[in-house]
Amino acid sequence: METSEPTPPPSPAPQDGRDQSDGRDQPDEAARPLDAAFAPPANASWSRVSPALAWYRRIVVGALCLVAAGVGVPLLLLWTSWPPAAAWAGSVLLVFVVGWILAGRFRRSWGYTEGPEELYLTYGVFVRQLVVIPYGRMQVVDVTADLLEQALGIATVRVRTAASTADTRVVGLPLTEAVQMRDRLAARSESFSTGL
Amino acid sequence: MSRPRAEDDVTTGVYRSHWMVVPLQTIAVTLVFVALIGPILNTFGIGWVVMMTVAVVFGALAYALPAWWYGTFGLREDHLVVHSGLAMRSSREVPLSRLQAVDVVRPLLMQVFGMADLHIEMAGGDGSDIRLRCLPRNLAERMRVAILAHAAGLPGRSPEAPEWPFYRLPFPLLLGALTFRVPILLSFILLLMLATAGAVFTEPGVVGAILPLTLGLLRYFWGPLARYTDYYASLSSDGLRLRYGMFQRRMQTVPPGRVQAVRVVEPLLWRALGVARVEANVAGYAGARQGDSATLLPAAPRRRAFALVNELFPESEAAYVPLVPNRSPVPSMVGVDEHLFVSTRGLFCLVTEIVPVERVQAVRLVAGPLARFTGRMAVDVDTPPGPVRAKASCREAGEARRFLDALVEYGRRARVPSAGTERWATRSTLTRRPDAAEETAARPGSGPEGSRRPRFAEAEGRGAEREEPEPGEPETGRTGTFGTPAEGRTEGREDTPEP
Repeated sequence: METSEPTPPPSPAPQDGRDQSDGRDQPDEAARPLDAAFAPPANASWSRVSPALAWYRRIVVGALCLVAAGVGVPLLLLWTSWPPAAAWAGSVLLVFVVGWILAGRFRRSWGYTEGPEELYLTYGVFVRQLVVIPYGRMQVVDVTADLLEQALGIATVRVRTAASTADTRVVGLPLTEAVQMRDRLAARSESFSTGL
Repeated sequence: MSRPRAEDDVTTGVYRSHWMVVPLQTIAVTLVFVALIGPILNTFGIGWVVMMTVAVVFGALAYALPAWWYGTFGLREDHLVVHSGLAMRSSREVPLSRLQAVDVVRPLLMQVFGMADLHIEMAGGDGSDIRLRCLPRNLAERMRVAILAHAAGLPGRSPEAPEWPFYRLPFPLLLGALTFRVPILLSFILLLMLATAGAVFTEPGVVGAILPLTLGLLRYFWGPLARYTDYYASLSSDGLRLRYGMFQRRMQTVPPGRVQAVRVVEPLLWRALGVARVEANVAGYAGARQGDSATLLPAAPRRRAFALVNELFPESEAAYVPLVPNRSPVPSMVGVDEHLFVSTRGLFCLVTEIVPVERVQAVRLVAGPLARFTGRMAVDVDTPPGPVRAKASCREAGEARRFLDALVEYGRRARVPSAGTERWATRSTLTRRPDAAEETAARPGSGPEGSRRPRFAEAEGRGAEREEPEPGEPETGRTGTFGTPAEGRTEGREDTPEP
């Protein structure tokens, strides 16, 4: 109780960098106070992820829509007449267009910054998140890439902490960058290690 | 019939379960066999039953005896080596410095035979714990001491650390606290009404309603009552020691620094009594064991509850963390200082959640789909799984971000000197003050206690108005707030029109 006395009053938040960062690479539709809240930490900017991530999403959405249309339209044509089939095709097309646009926005919403002692992440279109993970709290860092990611030359860096709620990953990094990032994070988690 | 060697030191040698396990297992298997298969075999004649039963007895014995003999464990330096399995041999070697908690559990049947289970919790989540079953009782106790000594970084032969009493829960208080809760009282009243109605009108249909009510009361009233009878908490340099249980005696040890987060729960009616419950997140208690072991104090006077929080997080004072209310229909107050994150929420059941900033695993700022219109967002504080889920909800954007930055900053400062909690006896940062428990007990109305009570009591009535500095409040608590130094900015930001 008395021990808190000698410590100087800490400056709570580095606030200067934030106002300038408002006009940075942010989705411009969002409200301004929101942007300010999701700004990068002081003296840093968000590293954006590879555009291949958008293509990854688009290919997945496109493949799903193709399957839905390819199965649904002939079946509807067989069982009923053309209006339901056309409606089905139209809705699939709509989903595809929305998915296409969202993929780009999702890609742009991603950002990460490696601070001096924490990893900062931001992502999300509907639910925007800013995640701060101290290096000392990282238990496992691994790189994964599925088949499509390999074809596009990107990979996912996944960071695990003792909190199971925190499923934190950086998606859509070029493979070499992902490997370098994993090595950096692993080294830092070792040097900042403070147990659990 | 305990082995004489258990009296010696347990740091060397190989140990196994109580020998009574073998006959007990054989008897259990035989009884199950006779009960299930016996009636079918009886159609062939009694001779068959006897013959098959004898075969099963020998079969069970042939399995249980080698399984018991080869299921060994022992200490090797500060590692615990456990061998198990017969068909598939497995052997685990566990570094005891990573230990999260040790429990000695004695269910009723085991008490009869003088046995005990030893549960050693590691941080790996579900399935990473080690259960040494059916040990002779004094072996279990001595093993626990040796394991804790190794985990503390001392030689395994060192005697058990001395303890000083913290709290003994009187049975009337436990009974009263468990009864005096809205759902329990309502269920009791409903049960009585249904029983009278059933008796008066001789209507058997009420049984259909009585049955689930009784089951619910068994689960939420009788369960904790039997579980926490004769509850005794004490503090030692090995951490918090809890002993409790009527039919199932448990002895739980949570070493220092293993508690990741704490919450103090005050249900509506308990607030009138001034009683609170303390639950904690401990990394080892994952999955199903959470409910078993997460409760540190089932019911205690509020002052004792917060005294326990101060003991768990030494050199910090939860009551002095300045809280800032949010402006939303659901009141919640949060605050952070150099050591602790504190949040108070709940309209009826008041929940105070306390997380030491150096134990925060990750901080996240979450803005839901409505955030664009309301401008409100939440700050989640991620901790290892458990009953405590600390978060600051419904905060204005600028405030939330400042809060996040403050949390990150304080966490960064707090983490540096501590550098882990393994082998706590060899460190100087985690020393406890043995006189703290007596000190707080000795002068209940004065000093930190006096100013502690109103600080938390405020949360009930304060609602959504902005908090003013208390006249009697020490200045140190105020300086650490994330709101104060930037107060001017807050107001300026909040005036900006929102879309």
